[in-house]
Amino acid sequence: MDRLLPLIQNETLKIWKKKRFFVIVLVLLILIPVFTYAQLRIAETNKKNFKDWHNQLVQQINEYQNMLSSDRIPDEWKRSRRIAVQQLQYYLDHDVNPNSPDGVTFTRSFMSNAVTLFFPLLVLAIASDLVSGERTSGTIKMLLTRPVRRWKILLSKLVALTFYVSLTVVVSGVLCYLISGAVFGYNGWEIPVFTGFVIQGSSIESSFVHAVPQWLYMLMEAGLIWVSSMTVAILALMVSVLVRSTSASIVTMMAAVISGTILSSMSSSWHSAKFIFSVNLQLTDYLAGSPPPITGMTLGFSLLILAFWAAVSLAVSFSVFTKQDIMN
Amino acid sequence: MRTLSSANLWKFIGIAAVLCTVMLLAGFGYAVKDMLYPKSEAYSGSEDLPALPAGGNLSESKEINVTAIGDSLTKGTGDSSGEGYVKQLVALLKTKYPDTAVRLNNNLAVNGMKADQLAKLLDTDKGYRFALRQANLIVFTIGGNDLFQIAAGASPSRMTGELKLDKLQAELPQGLDRLDAITKRLNAINPNAHVVYVGLYNPFYDIGDYREGSLQIQKWNERAYALLHRYPNMSMVPTFDLFENTISRYLSSDHFHPNHNGYAQIAARIVQSLE
Repeated sequence: MDRLLPLIQNETLKIWKKKRFFVIVLVLLILIPVFTYAQLRIAETNKKNFKDWHNQLVQQINEYQNMLSSDRIPDEWKRSRRIAVQQLQYYLDHDVNPNSPDGVTFTRSFMSNAVTLFFPLLVLAIASDLVSGERTSGTIKMLLTRPVRRWKILLSKLVALTFYVSLTVVVSGVLCYLISGAVFGYNGWEIPVFTGFVIQGSSIESSFVHAVPQWLYMLMEAGLIWVSSMTVAILALMVSVLVRSTSASIVTMMAAVISGTILSSMSSSWHSAKFIFSVNLQLTDYLAGSPPPITGMTLGFSLLILAFWAAVSLAVSFSVFTKQDIMN
Repeated sequence: MRTLSSANLWKFIGIAAVLCTVMLLAGFGYAVKDMLYPKSEAYSGSEDLPALPAGGNLSESKEINVTAIGDSLTKGTGDSSGEGYVKQLVALLKTKYPDTAVRLNNNLAVNGMKADQLAKLLDTDKGYRFALRQANLIVFTIGGNDLFQIAAGASPSRMTGELKLDKLQAELPQGLDRLDAITKRLNAINPNAHVVYVGLYNPFYDIGDYREGSLQIQKWNERAYALLHRYPNMSMVPTFDLFENTISRYLSSDHFHPNHNGYAQIAARIVQSLE
């Protein structure tokens, strides 16, 4: 262990010096104002059309109900709308605004929308060249000729990666709050959010529904985002060990993540797609009570699948990295 | 930042990252605990119903808030512009009362809504009660689905089978009971608003065998008028005459719902009935 800490320090500083984290912050600084502006426009339209959030919510429920009464809409789609109607109705019945216009609520929905694509993308910016980058630049030889066990080197890379994943999730949340708060106001920490909706078929069981203050909800959400981002990071580390070029490693991981998003939206009939890691990334949906992409998926199931993929990738990464010959 | 030495930078990143990781792990742990072993505690929200609007004449009130409820006629089905009679009514009210702020509060109509469903919603749905209490003008249509669906055995828009006129007659009392319940509940929710009920018409007037149906529709309209008449703030607007000789002009292609012009006539009649 005595040699590990300097190694972690070395890897952490290497990522910092490569300015990858600055790129992430820059992307956030550009994108968050764009989304904030879009949300502001929506809020302005709603304000013009509706006197009160109750009216807006009632109208939204009514629109869903009208869609449900149509014969031309696919059953799968109806099912998710039916669930949405019941949740909105629950909010309405308890006089809680699910879309209160404030910085915290905006941050909450931004984070949960970002979990399947945006966060994996940010994570890949750091993870994809951790090993393959050293190969491309040739520094891997210097790294491996030092009198350090190879597994320690990979482990230190993994720890540094974990550090940056944590920082990315937290910094995203903080930046989003600071930027959107300037427009929507810095309040909303104590607003109750309902969680614990149990989905059964096309209806929800509300006996376990309870309210948590929004700050706690955000904390839980961030924790779940961290877990799915870490899974992507560990998989990317494996790909980066296996593939020689950084761009090939990014493309491979992006393809995997994007295909998961597409599968989630069309996999109602292909049930075994639920074993693919990228279909399970939207952990925050379980918290919000949205229907999972494939019926029968639960939080426990998704966590198991993600853990399985992560464990396999770790095993592959370490066994390959410790045995691999380094040639140019 | 440039003055930061590598050692200090490492300390800064390392400590920040460890703190973030611990916090996120705690959040994850709490989320798993909360979802796998949920404690159910009932959350009782604070009910804040809006204050009732002042009663009295619409022309004297400061603003007119319109809330529409009912079936596909109120939704505006058949109007290719999507306006229906409700939006046209709001536009007409704006020209009739130029000094008053007129706004459509909510249009909560649902296609295929029947009177018993509406009565139940008025009883249980907080959203309906909220939107209705804000209004000083409530417009609604109901009953068409109750009568024609029962008589045809299917929803009216895809009706192909035969319309059984004797069945229509048999269902009248039940439908009227439901309308009775609706008027009672509307009055309980908002006794100050002006309520306008749009009467029924026979969309099959031009089809030889079903012309007789108009007599049943008129019975419905007559009894409905009696139900509404009990409350001085409620009134009824007839529409049956609009859809007899001018069916081709005012009915949409589904031969059941009015088209844009048909809805325009209904809106005009409602405005005429308001002082």
